[in-house]
Amino acid sequence: MIGRRGFLALAGLSAAAATVGLSACAGGTGSTAGDGQKGNGTLQFWSNHPGSSKALEEQLIAEWTKQHPDVPVQLVDGGSSYEDLATKFNAALAGGDLPDVIVASDVTWFNFALNQATAPLDDLWKEAGVDANSYVDTLREDYAFGGKHYGMPYSRSTTLMYWNSDVLAQAGLEKRGPQTWQEFADWAPKLVQAMGGKPALVIPDGSNYLDWYFQGMIWTFGGKYSNEWTPTFNDPKSIEAGKFLQDQYKAGHIGIEKDANNTFGIGGAAGLLQSTGSLTGLTKAAKFPFITTYLPGPKPGATTGGAGLAVPNGISHERKINAVKFIDFLTNMQNTITFSQGTGYVPVRKGAENEAAMKTYLEQNPNAFTAIKQMADGNTAPQDYARVFVPGGGKRIGGGLDKITLGGEDVATVFASMQQETQQSYDRDIKPLL
Amino acid sequence: MTSTIPGTSVPDPDLELPRRKSGWSLQQILLAAALILPNMILLILFTYRPLVDNFRISFFQWNLSSTRPPLFVGFRNYADWFSDPGTPTIVMNTVIFTVAAVAGSMILGLALALLLDQKLFGRAAVRSMIFAPYVISGAAIGVAFQFVFDPQFGLIQDLLRRIGVESPNFYQDPKWALFMVTVTYIWKNLGYVFVIYLAALQGRRKDLDEAAEIDDTSPVRRLFRVVLPQLRQTTFFLSVTVLLSSFQVFDLIQVMTRGGPLGNGTMTMVYQVYEESFNNNRAGYGAAVASIMFLIVLVITVIQVRLQDRQD
Repeated sequence: MIGRRGFLALAGLSAAAATVGLSACAGGTGSTAGDGQKGNGTLQFWSNHPGSSKALEEQLIAEWTKQHPDVPVQLVDGGSSYEDLATKFNAALAGGDLPDVIVASDVTWFNFALNQATAPLDDLWKEAGVDANSYVDTLREDYAFGGKHYGMPYSRSTTLMYWNSDVLAQAGLEKRGPQTWQEFADWAPKLVQAMGGKPALVIPDGSNYLDWYFQGMIWTFGGKYSNEWTPTFNDPKSIEAGKFLQDQYKAGHIGIEKDANNTFGIGGAAGLLQSTGSLTGLTKAAKFPFITTYLPGPKPGATTGGAGLAVPNGISHERKINAVKFIDFLTNMQNTITFSQGTGYVPVRKGAENEAAMKTYLEQNPNAFTAIKQMADGNTAPQDYARVFVPGGGKRIGGGLDKITLGGEDVATVFASMQQETQQSYDRDIKPLL
Repeated sequence: MTSTIPGTSVPDPDLELPRRKSGWSLQQILLAAALILPNMILLILFTYRPLVDNFRISFFQWNLSSTRPPLFVGFRNYADWFSDPGTPTIVMNTVIFTVAAVAGSMILGLALALLLDQKLFGRAAVRSMIFAPYVISGAAIGVAFQFVFDPQFGLIQDLLRRIGVESPNFYQDPKWALFMVTVTYIWKNLGYVFVIYLAALQGRRKDLDEAAEIDDTSPVRRLFRVVLPQLRQTTFFLSVTVLLSSFQVFDLIQVMTRGGPLGNGTMTMVYQVYEESFNNNRAGYGAAVASIMFLIVLVITVIQVRLQDRQD
């Protein structure tokens, strides 16, 4: 007979087993595409609603449903972040019902493409009559791998600088952003003084994509996270950029915060390094006038980012065609303009800025024009493989940058560690699949 | 045909005494099976099968997104974990968090139970307030507590500022970040320990209290010599269950710190399982960490059971 202690031991075993089950909960090993899941007739769109776009997405879906009543769409919450959504999709791949369209970020799309979890779209575009050339070339090509495309641009962004106009004036500076990081270093003491000791610039920390924001800075120093698949953290120029960031942080010129938007929005820093996707929120929240500017050069000094839309490989051909048509609709000229105006993300179709609706908007909101011009002027470039393609790259680099700023650790040592870990991960997880 | 052992005699069936029924009737067996089997099947399907599957997966390199078959790598995932320079930090975080959470919630829970076992005005309302956080989702509490710990706008910084002390940055200093998550966890789970202790206190022998009172025993001596010995079984039960649940904390870390700052400042083993399996696409490695965790929890539970046996 089982006693109380026996029962407790059994309960312990069960609870421990339940913990273990976390990693086994996805079911068996391997998922198969097979002939493709047929679905239930309703197109499932999994989104994390980038840029607080849930209402906008619902509005666009309602418009689609009017035009295509035979292909209803269900908007499914995929979590609060791109990573949450990728986790949910992974679980579906391992044995659940697949959606028709997913939001895939700059970091998550490649893993899905490499592992054939999402479909190459080129043939589907032809069949569905999608004009892929009407997308902004650099944004479309961000999803190219092995001569095929695995995503269509959706909530695309670049890094931007936001500057409190009043503080710039108070510091006796021109109403523009610094043109180089050295110029920023020269400006910073004046800005700090004008802010009463608060930082000249605030940037989100490593848990909030500091690795993305720093990428432009490292380029302007001549460094990189990687040269394609070869990590280059050990490059003296990469280390120099790391030291610059560390020095500026130590000097109090740069602040690293969990919620940098909030810090800037309440006047806790003169400037902010953030995504274009924060523009609408900041415009509503900030109680002071601000301008948006390019990131310092020399070009390119800013990265593209954000997310696209991808189609699972494991669904039926008919569903894939409908999915591609839906994405085409969601990102058509009119809708990408609506989405851009509602969120701050850049329009993804060529010539959107010349459309009447966008022209008027940009005239009234010059801050929204900066990102578009920054891309057109060639100040943006696609991201380094070490961040977006090597598993855990973003988190690894973000953690490393936290260590050299918040932790004050030696830059060369931390970068050497990132070099080694990135190489290990590439050799183990990527190289055998290429 | 019956055979007999030499030297023995065959008993006469007619003379045999009526045998006491010790076996179960078919009806009882069927009833027991009907009651036990559904739970057993569920337990096997959703707890023990994943457990076995997890051990199996831990010997493979497997990307959850991949349509390719997983690659058998033997013990490489285990070897990688033991040789990873980040492992000592993660194990230490897990130990510190678990020990602090178990000790903190048990001591505070007992103290509150002792206090609210007294006849005090409004104690029913206070009991409800203490238990309420336990039934609120960890994610919701994690979000709410960001307004408590925020170094710029939080409640704590405001209180500290009033007495001229600068608030630590709970999100950027790994030690303070771990402290923040631990305190939040204790606050959330205090109600569970409190309720169990309170029930045990109310079921204890009051005559022993009265005897101690007649003997004019001091309150402290009465607590340690009369009350606490009666709570030994409850303490043992709580130490096992609280340890198991705190070992598995995930929601608070996911919402409050995502394992950071500085990469793995609040990374515990169970969070590492999630991070490796789902974000780094290393399900085999995550399974290996989960297996190691399982063995650690198992060993601790067995030790606890043995210690309790000895005490008894």
